[in-house]
Amino acid sequence: MADVGLFVTDLALGLLLGCVFAVIAHGLNLIWGVAKVVNVAHGEFIMLGAYGAYFLSIWLGFNPLLSVPIDAAIGLAVGVGFYFGFLHRELRGKESMGLQSEMVTLVATFGLALVLINTAQSLWTGNNVGIPWSPGVVRVGSLQLPLGGLYVAIVSVAIIGLSHVFLSKTYLGNAIRAYSQDIPATQLVGINPTSTAAIGTALGFSITMAGGALLTVWLPTGIYPAMGNLYAPISFVIVVLGGPGKMWGSLVGGLTLGVIIDVGQLFLGGSIALATAIAFLTLIPVLLFRPEGILR
Amino acid sequence: MRLPAIRSFGPTLWGIGLFLIVLAGTAPWIPVFLLTVLIQLLIYATLAYSLNLITGLTGYVSFGHVVFMAFGGYALGIGVGTLNLHPVAGVALGAVVGLALALGIGVVTLRFRGVYFAIATLVVAVAALYIVLEIKELGDGQGIYLNIGFEPLSWFYTIWVILAIEVVFTYWITHGRIGYGIRSIKSDEDAAKTVGINAARVKLFLYALSGLFAGGAGGVYWWTLSGVFPYQAFDLTFSLQMLAMVVIGGMGTLLGPLIGAVAVYIPSYIFLTIFSGFQFIIIGVVVILIALFVPEGIVGSLRKYIPELRGILE
Repeated sequence: MADVGLFVTDLALGLLLGCVFAVIAHGLNLIWGVAKVVNVAHGEFIMLGAYGAYFLSIWLGFNPLLSVPIDAAIGLAVGVGFYFGFLHRELRGKESMGLQSEMVTLVATFGLALVLINTAQSLWTGNNVGIPWSPGVVRVGSLQLPLGGLYVAIVSVAIIGLSHVFLSKTYLGNAIRAYSQDIPATQLVGINPTSTAAIGTALGFSITMAGGALLTVWLPTGIYPAMGNLYAPISFVIVVLGGPGKMWGSLVGGLTLGVIIDVGQLFLGGSIALATAIAFLTLIPVLLFRPEGILR
Repeated sequence: MRLPAIRSFGPTLWGIGLFLIVLAGTAPWIPVFLLTVLIQLLIYATLAYSLNLITGLTGYVSFGHVVFMAFGGYALGIGVGTLNLHPVAGVALGAVVGLALALGIGVVTLRFRGVYFAIATLVVAVAALYIVLEIKELGDGQGIYLNIGFEPLSWFYTIWVILAIEVVFTYWITHGRIGYGIRSIKSDEDAAKTVGINAARVKLFLYALSGLFAGGAGGVYWWTLSGVFPYQAFDLTFSLQMLAMVVIGGMGTLLGPLIGAVAVYIPSYIFLTIFSGFQFIIIGVVVILIALFVPEGIVGSLRKYIPELRGILE
């Protein structure tokens, strides 16, 4: 059995990592809520966000935190493009997405994932890269925590908090939430469905790509074209754990998953692979017994 | 009322049968390099028909189909490497493992619909890789190296038999009485249940059959590579290629998966030799365009726009 000091350290690390997971899942959650469809290429936009941070650090010497706003701005543009390229045809004039449209977008975004991975591979090679940025460690009692991870966690919670304020306190945010709940009713009260859905999707992409930049702090050599194959399933599981459409759900789901992976490996003989597998498979019982997510 | 079978033997089945028989008859005289291309093509066709059984016929998109293929390969690795079986018996073992796995996964995941089913299958496939990496008997993350000889004709006839059985099964299922149930599930599962169709059982039957053939195809695929390696075996690109073939060919049709396999594999093989890496970009673009603009695929569109073909093509 693991000793208490190690357990507390892993718990703290898991919580810090979970904050970043929460951000990348939060982006997916917004897109899911607005468009009622899962973007299978989600992981590839995380990858693009990570590469964005990498190139900003090479060209301009930015650290990952500085590149977050730039990635987020790029994400807004990418999101608008994605909405009109993939979702508008299926959502236009409909009250909800039917099973046929859902399948079309699933397959189409799976194709997009393939295009993005392989384009990245031919542009930037398949080699792992990373951003050398380590601002040191902070000591809390006997606990040693990476300062970079701590900054990232603070920014992550701030992003989720800000998006929550935006969605619940502003007119536009309320319009987006209304759209995700009932499309015909949204039109009845005079909200333009197309621009609302486009802005909601853009916001989701912006958060996703910002999350990709934040993730690089935890990946000293882990940026590569196919990295989305790991982070997309992580995001899917987190959104389902927290409950699709629940804004604090991403944070709860992210923290849960981070803790399962970091603390789990302690009990599995240090095997991060088995801990990751268990974290993924928590999806199944949650879908079976609490399909609305672990939050009420 | 006992419903009659949907239709007698159609020209499409005769066409596919003729194609397969000609291939089988000429195989010993086909040059080896061409034969290896054909073997790969038949493997991909088998995989495409396998995905077609669940995704094409019922509309349940499975992203994790690679898991059956991978475990088919691992069953071959254990069967040949540890139990000293003949590779053909190893392939059969792979098919059985695929069937058992599909029953296990299907019982749970087929309860979820639409996006949730797609995500659940994807997550199971990713989790399976991480579990296999940790199992000593399965190569401890390194994979299993086998030392089986280069025997293209054995590969060819093994995958030929699997594919032929699979095509007949697909025909039998879509044209027998169970075909009505499958069609009604695809159109509206809740309505199907209210008229007394045991949707859960029909879906599980199709999914298990799908796992059986994918496991067998995986066994042959890793037999041709004389070993099985975890990161390649669980590569989600296989899932995408199967999906691309089914979508491009025409979901839920009898001829579609074969056309899709030819349309995806042959260009990607040619592109692979000319400029590698680009073939997946092109396949991806084609999948996006077809999914968005011609969701019926090649066979579906032909049927839609040329009414004369409806009696022949299915």
